[in-house]
Amino acid sequence: MRSLSFKQIALCLIALILVALFPLAFSKPFPQHVMILIFMFGTMAVAWNIMGGYAGMFSFGQVAFFGIGAYTSSFLLITYHVNPWIGLIIGGLIAALVGAAIGYPCSNLRGHYFAIASIAFGEIVRTHFNNWKLIGAAEGMTLPMMEESFENFMFHSSKLPYYYIMLAFLIISLIVCYFVATSKMGYYFRAIKESHDVAKVLGVNVVQYRLIAIMISAFLTAMAGTFYAQYVLYLDPESVLILPISVQIVLISMLGGAGSIMGPVIGAAILIPVSEVTRVMLGHKGTGIDMIIYGTLITLISVYQPKGVWGLFSNVGKRTR
Amino acid sequence: MTDQLVQQIVNGLLIGFMYSLIAIGLTLIWGVMNIVNFAHGDFLMLGMFTSFWLYTLYGVDPLFSIPVCTALLFILGLLIYRYIVSKVMKGPMLAQLVVTFGVSIFLANLAVFLWTPDFRLIEKPLLHGTWDIGEIKLSIPKFVATIGSVIASVFVFLFLKRTKTGKAILATEMDREAASLMGINTERINSISFALGSALVGIAGAFLSTYYYIYPQVGGTFGLIAFCVVALGGFGSIEGAFIAGIIVGLAQTLGGFFIDPAYKFAIVFLIYLITVWIRPEGLLGW
Amino acid sequence: MSRKEDKMGTKKLWVIVFSLLLVLILSVFVYAQPKVIKIGAIYPLTGNLATTGLDCKRGVEMAVEIINGKYDLSLPLAKTEGLPNLGGAKIEIIFADSKGDPKNGMAEAERLVTQEKVVAVIGAYQSAVTKTASQATERLKIPYVCSDSTSPTLTERGFKYFFRAECTDTIFAKNQFEFLEDIKKKTKSKIESVALLYENTEWGANVGKEEQKYAKEFKYKVVADIPYSQNATDVSSEAGVLMKNKPDVLLHASYITDAILYTKTFKELGFSPKGFLTMAGYLEPGYLATVKADGNNMIVRSTFALDLAKRKPLVAQVNELYKKKYGMEMSGNAARSFTAPFVVAEAIDRAKSTEAEAVTKALMATNIPGDQIINPWKGIKFDPQTHQNIYATGILVQIQDEQYFTVWPFDTASKDIVWPFPRWKK
Repeated sequence: MRSLSFKQIALCLIALILVALFPLAFSKPFPQHVMILIFMFGTMAVAWNIMGGYAGMFSFGQVAFFGIGAYTSSFLLITYHVNPWIGLIIGGLIAALVGAAIGYPCSNLRGHYFAIASIAFGEIVRTHFNNWKLIGAAEGMTLPMMEESFENFMFHSSKLPYYYIMLAFLIISLIVCYFVATSKMGYYFRAIKESHDVAKVLGVNVVQYRLIAIMISAFLTAMAGTFYAQYVLYLDPESVLILPISVQIVLISMLGGAGSIMGPVIGAAILIPVSEVTRVMLGHKGTGIDMIIYGTLITLISVYQPKGVWGLFSNVGKRTR
Repeated sequence: MTDQLVQQIVNGLLIGFMYSLIAIGLTLIWGVMNIVNFAHGDFLMLGMFTSFWLYTLYGVDPLFSIPVCTALLFILGLLIYRYIVSKVMKGPMLAQLVVTFGVSIFLANLAVFLWTPDFRLIEKPLLHGTWDIGEIKLSIPKFVATIGSVIASVFVFLFLKRTKTGKAILATEMDREAASLMGINTERINSISFALGSALVGIAGAFLSTYYYIYPQVGGTFGLIAFCVVALGGFGSIEGAFIAGIIVGLAQTLGGFFIDPAYKFAIVFLIYLITVWIRPEGLLGW
Repeated sequence: MSRKEDKMGTKKLWVIVFSLLLVLILSVFVYAQPKVIKIGAIYPLTGNLATTGLDCKRGVEMAVEIINGKYDLSLPLAKTEGLPNLGGAKIEIIFADSKGDPKNGMAEAERLVTQEKVVAVIGAYQSAVTKTASQATERLKIPYVCSDSTSPTLTERGFKYFFRAECTDTIFAKNQFEFLEDIKKKTKSKIESVALLYENTEWGANVGKEEQKYAKEFKYKVVADIPYSQNATDVSSEAGVLMKNKPDVLLHASYITDAILYTKTFKELGFSPKGFLTMAGYLEPGYLATVKADGNNMIVRSTFALDLAKRKPLVAQVNELYKKKYGMEMSGNAARSFTAPFVVAEAIDRAKSTEAEAVTKALMATNIPGDQIINPWKGIKFDPQTHQNIYATGILVQIQDEQYFTVWPFDTASKDIVWPFPRWKK
């Protein structure tokens, strides 16, 4: 596929510099928190995009990987004092394995069937964790307050380290996505998305590549999970394994533009601030207006700009469905 | 012990038939248009609120508000199809998935805005109370809802198989292009199906309001199960949705009773997964 | 220039002049106000627990109205307008919506402190949200006074700036078994087995654990231990398991949605153990409003009841004010959240400062006597290590004639308890 043009690289660099300087201009915790959420959901949306936007598996169960990542690293930290960075890798690997395990029997499910299966998967994981005494069941786990350091993956006096770490995770996800999209693998993914039969005729091992897409997606999502645990210092099934998180990930990808590399990030950059700001400004009244606005926005964008915001900028692929 | 078993089966059937009624509307929309109506649960909620307000403000028993619920939801379905859904029909699948999410969030919170998040209950519907059949207790409102569900399903079934419009709907479900080539106005079929599906869940709402509490977020709980039921039965298959609803109701109750109540929904989801692994189109889907 | 444009020009000029005048007047107003003291309040104001959050909000607003106004009530700071030691400065509550999500609790606490410049935070009803919100305030070194979250872990963290006025679930669970011992003696009936039914999230699961602990200690047999998911469509299987195991008493920890569903299901299936000992959801106004007479004879743990007015006229007086403002009786939830603003304001007033360290020091020395609170406690005084209110105790109320009456401890009961639970009427 095409490699990045000079213009695209320049734009990315400028964006990166602006984002890196943001916390210096906005030094209060709340704007930084909103940006961190953008990076976190952006990462998960990019991860979703790899299996959904590119390989055509619309997953509504990503939260399971998020939760597995968060729980794995936290459990290892609390019980065995394993360093959270190592816990992060282990969490990612477990999530990938679980993803493959569930992905294999679901290999020939498409479209709506796959979507509902992914919801079922997410709910089964949540129910199981909710009753699993080993990891705290419904009461969840509280991370110990440790000395502030990069090695401990914990910071108390400022959000800046969290900010840059999550930004780094996002960039890593984008790089992975870029390599996937521009490699032969990406070509196979798109073939699979178009039609399993066509892909098979082209000699693509459909099952194998579907599993690879799931595993990559799961690993990246689990990374975000570990970050969440280290950031909020408390997790329970109600906060890291619920369906609304999966739905939000899909919404973000779609709004931003599924099937493009930067689309999901743009989606996060729009939806997260909207939902945070409306909650802050209107949520406290309890009238639900903030969510009415959110729902209207989603509906309008779906109707009038279904290719997402990225579709506005993209000149490529004007073909209709 | 057998008494307990029978009681649980009875309860499973009672909730199952309600699931069936909710799912039939959903599968119709799904089968015809390939649209997952994530706002289906919220239409249910609107049906429930319609019934509640008619009861509270005008003393109309839920049974008699069925025509109103049907008509209101039918019109709402038409409007939402015409002004929102039809516009995404030509768009990417993802947009179609997402647009009804937007509608769902909008409707649920509009209900919060209009009616507050408070819980409501219809205390004494016309047909209330419990029948004691030996040791078994049969809730009358739930039983009435079951009968309603059966009648509605039979109606829909006959409508689809015997009337011209109904057959056109089935044809569109089976093969959209062929139907269009045969002169069927598929756009009109879309609207009718969406409206009909919404009307059906409006009826479900009227029945459900006789025994379940009413509040803006009630759609979420039932909606999620409805998707499983539809997928289990096979998208587009009315008979499939009907049977699947009963299966899910029984699985939930019996699984909860004999295995572990904490896992009862996990059991439902597991049954779904196993079914689609063995037979990907669902039980009776094509 | 045409006449119309001329008119438009003059019109514009007047608008500008008028606006400037308005701004001038308003700025004078602003400068003329005495200082306002901001306190942040985090509650689930939208989402699944919205009705509960809004109930808590009412309690907080009522408290602030009393503090800021002049009322002849024996509550701290009621008789003066605002805080007397700070020149009559008034309290302003900045509400924040947690939506029940712990990460929002953290973000809102940070935002309230760093952007809204609140001097203290109260809330957040759900223990999971209070946990993360108070973690944030601890980092920011700002006092947090909680009067509506009951998880014992909150005061086991060794935090310096966190204070809790309310009972813990440990105390509530123990109360239930102390009550069973008492009722056994009083009615000379046999009560040997209990069933535990609890909603399966952070709060309910913890309650279940505490109840298991005390069941063992008080030597009761636990014949069923049933966690369930909130917002179920149907609870026949849970009810079936309960009926199969025939417990003498059912202990139910639930939020309001499930309380309604279970009551209806128990009535439908005719499940009537000797008693229902319940928590939380059964106290919400929405419960009785929906189930009405079916709620009769349920026993609920509480730290407030309207009939306390018999010994404390203050309770009736406050309830009258509350009824006038909101058109309904004060609920247990609203009463709990009502307490925190007083504790905070009283400490700020005593410290004669809004500065965090001074207020925290004042909170450590808080000693509000029992006749100045609407709760049935000896007072509010915080343990120097855990910052838990040492005088916080629970009572049990029973719903009779669709109202809540104190029935335990027996010496404080206003009505005779109905025991055992009578069979369901059709």
